[in-house]
Amino acid sequence: METVLLIILGSLAITGSLMVIFSKNTVHSALWMVSFFFFIAGIYILLHAEFIAMLQLIVYAGAIMMFILYAIMMLNIREELSDRIPVQPLKLAGIALLGFIFLLLLPMVVFGVNHSMLTASGPFTEQIVEKFGHMAVLSNYLFSDFLLPFEITSILLTVGVVGSVMLAKK
Amino acid sequence: MAEMQDINLYLFLSAIMFIIGAAGAITRRNAIVVFMCIEIMLCSSSLLFIVFGRATRTFDGTFMIMFIMTVAAVEAAIGLAIFILMYRKTGSIDLDKFNIMKW
Repeated sequence: METVLLIILGSLAITGSLMVIFSKNTVHSALWMVSFFFFIAGIYILLHAEFIAMLQLIVYAGAIMMFILYAIMMLNIREELSDRIPVQPLKLAGIALLGFIFLLLLPMVVFGVNHSMLTASGPFTEQIVEKFGHMAVLSNYLFSDFLLPFEITSILLTVGVVGSVMLAKK
Repeated sequence: MAEMQDINLYLFLSAIMFIIGAAGAITRRNAIVVFMCIEIMLCSSSLLFIVFGRATRTFDGTFMIMFIMTVAAVEAAIGLAIFILMYRKTGSIDLDKFNIMKW
């Protein structure tokens, strides 16, 4: 059952990401991106990570995509910027190289999972996570063991806000 | 655990999404679509973190995702401010026109 749901959500996510790069209109690309984030959030729920799924919807599909749509509106994208087939040979060589890298990745993905190293050795079994809740477990460790990265990311956010205001004002 | 059966599918999905994002970032000329393809690549690596975190029953992947999401939001803010500056200086955000550093 979970496999069927994963195949459905995964193929919808791949369709969304393909339509992002193949859309001629930039606003259509942004809307396909929003749908892509919704399907990725569905995959996170399938992995029993509900808090990350909601965070994905709020931060990525809510804040970042809204920001991108505002930028598209303000930058007044005209249709001549929407490009069709790449005709430069360097870009075609880049895509061929990416296809080759994917063919190299494929046997590793299918056969190369080292199950002896992937032992379920941590303390967070499904029963414990469902007893306390995903968010409770995450926040318990985020504010005790991982406090330093948390504070550093708040500094990073402040720097980002100040920097973008300073860059974009006249 | 059902995770062990499906892990190849998750890895395959993550690899395809990464290659699609990389191909879009190389090919497209519109700067905002390139930025969206970079976000697709970040999403694929986030999926990989959560999958392996669940397979080993730890929470380290989930912590990594919190910080990846924060960095992606900050990168969105500053990147779009740079695009606005680009547009103000030259009137377009076509990335093929920004080649003054070419040899």
